[in-house]
Amino acid sequence: MDNKVAVIVEHENSRVSPATLEAAAFAQELALITGSIISCVIVGGDALEISHQLAHELGITCEAVVVPGLSHYDGEAYRWALVTCFGELCPDWVCVAGTTQGLDLATGLAVRINAGCLANVEKMGEKDHRPVFSRSLFNGKVYGDFIIEPPAVLITQPGSFRYSQKSHDQKGHVQTIHLLDPPGNTRLISESRINDGDSGLSQASVIISAGRGIKSRENLALLKQAAGMFSRSSVAGSRPLCDDGWLPYNLQVGQTGAEVSPELYVACGISGAQQHLAGMRGSKFVVSINTDPNAPIFNESDIGIVDDFETFLNDFIEAAQDRS
Amino acid sequence: MIKILVCVKSSAPADAPLVINDSGAWIERGFSHTEAVPGRYDELALEQALRLKDQISGVMVDAISCGPTREIRVLRRALGMGCDNAIHILTGEEGFVPAITTAYRLSSAIRSRSYDLILTGLMSEDMNQGIVGQMTAEFLGMPCLTSCVSISVDAERRLVMVERDIEGARRQKLEMNMPALATVQACVTPPRYPSLSKILRAVSMEIETIEADPVTVHDRGEILTRLTYPTRRRSVRFLEGPSRQKASELVSILRSRAILG
Repeated sequence: MDNKVAVIVEHENSRVSPATLEAAAFAQELALITGSIISCVIVGGDALEISHQLAHELGITCEAVVVPGLSHYDGEAYRWALVTCFGELCPDWVCVAGTTQGLDLATGLAVRINAGCLANVEKMGEKDHRPVFSRSLFNGKVYGDFIIEPPAVLITQPGSFRYSQKSHDQKGHVQTIHLLDPPGNTRLISESRINDGDSGLSQASVIISAGRGIKSRENLALLKQAAGMFSRSSVAGSRPLCDDGWLPYNLQVGQTGAEVSPELYVACGISGAQQHLAGMRGSKFVVSINTDPNAPIFNESDIGIVDDFETFLNDFIEAAQDRS
Repeated sequence: MIKILVCVKSSAPADAPLVINDSGAWIERGFSHTEAVPGRYDELALEQALRLKDQISGVMVDAISCGPTREIRVLRRALGMGCDNAIHILTGEEGFVPAITTAYRLSSAIRSRSYDLILTGLMSEDMNQGIVGQMTAEFLGMPCLTSCVSISVDAERRLVMVERDIEGARRQKLEMNMPALATVQACVTPPRYPSLSKILRAVSMEIETIEADPVTVHDRGEILTRLTYPTRRRSVRFLEGPSRQKASELVSILRSRAILG
């Protein structure tokens, strides 16, 4: 009997998230290595509509788990629905995009279906006809190769796998399960946009970005001063900085923030965790300043400066003002 | 009375050097036990719990850690910050431990202790997965919400109210029934420093030790086979010399690329 790969689909307003399409591309690669057949699983009130759309686009089987009234993501309800669906499907490999929702959903699911779990998978290779999964560890300082026995839940790092729309001659079809009365121990009360308004990050041709290494909030003034040396520039930061309230979230570069591709990206005191790199890899020219010569940010940089950022930026500002 | 438990784990200081060991499958501990600090997100989880203790009367906060002997230092720090009790699940091993094993060990130790709220950090500083909390909740059969940036409790209605950020710069407000587990991404206040009086008190406090039973390990055949250093995506050129020299060189480079006027 064939092995089975299932992709859990993240969707909103009847649209499939781009990260899920990347997870589907990963799943297709995995299906080739393991000789598996692949299907997508869609949970929600509007699961049927999305299933038809996806079956047509990918040419594969889609399982629509229709739960009337389930209009938004709810981890507990989704896990409950998926376990019911998996009772029939029995997948060997479950692939999920590692978004906030994916990480919220999938790891508890692994426990519930007695499966192993590997998060933030960035690459896949093959050894002795078995898949080998790679991901970064220790905030990007090393990479680890993992093997895992099926059944396993594999969570892909957004931005790591490419989905390209291919023409295919398979028709794909949709199977439907109807479920009623999901559990209700968690409830969404409201959802709002934070820091609405354009921060101008996407238009900036120079971005001076700060990480935890800048040590104090007051040091942001120095970054602003350095940004002032360039036209169309902006200050930005990594997620921990925004979490601490030093910068508003609309200035966050990374997986849950903005994806930028300026002419120049200057990383000050940023170690280079995968989640941050995902947002700045498209930059044309990268200069990094860090006291740790082994900081992974240097692997993504054109120019590396191993120094205290405060001393260096002061010297830089002075040198840039000197037109002699 | 609300009983809160915070799961913590030690990590190396952020700038500690990291070297792959001779086996090629784990790292040399580039830091001594005395340098071990709680992970950044674990500290935020501790602060969040202690804030609730400051705000509401009748809140008890305990800390738990699962790992080798160096975890004791992190538990003492948690006591120094103001936790009431500390529990250490003592494991023998250094090296890679699958998340599900840790979650299983935590849940086995927690199950009979009737906590109302369990907090963990968003992710550890070494494995960076962000999955142990959710797995622990699942083993315990508790509802779980992840990536929380604020947490409050309604003791009377036995509810936990959280806010969390999701993709697309959106913030959600959610609530769940106690007992529950939440993973902490941020806290309104920065983690407090241990106070001298609490440190002195912590030294004399007993840390409950539970030996992790190797027989009960929940293994799903997850093996870390090899570690490698990341490959360079760009060929970085390190500028040499004193800071001023590097600064003028960078200015020249940026001017030659017409980025700087």
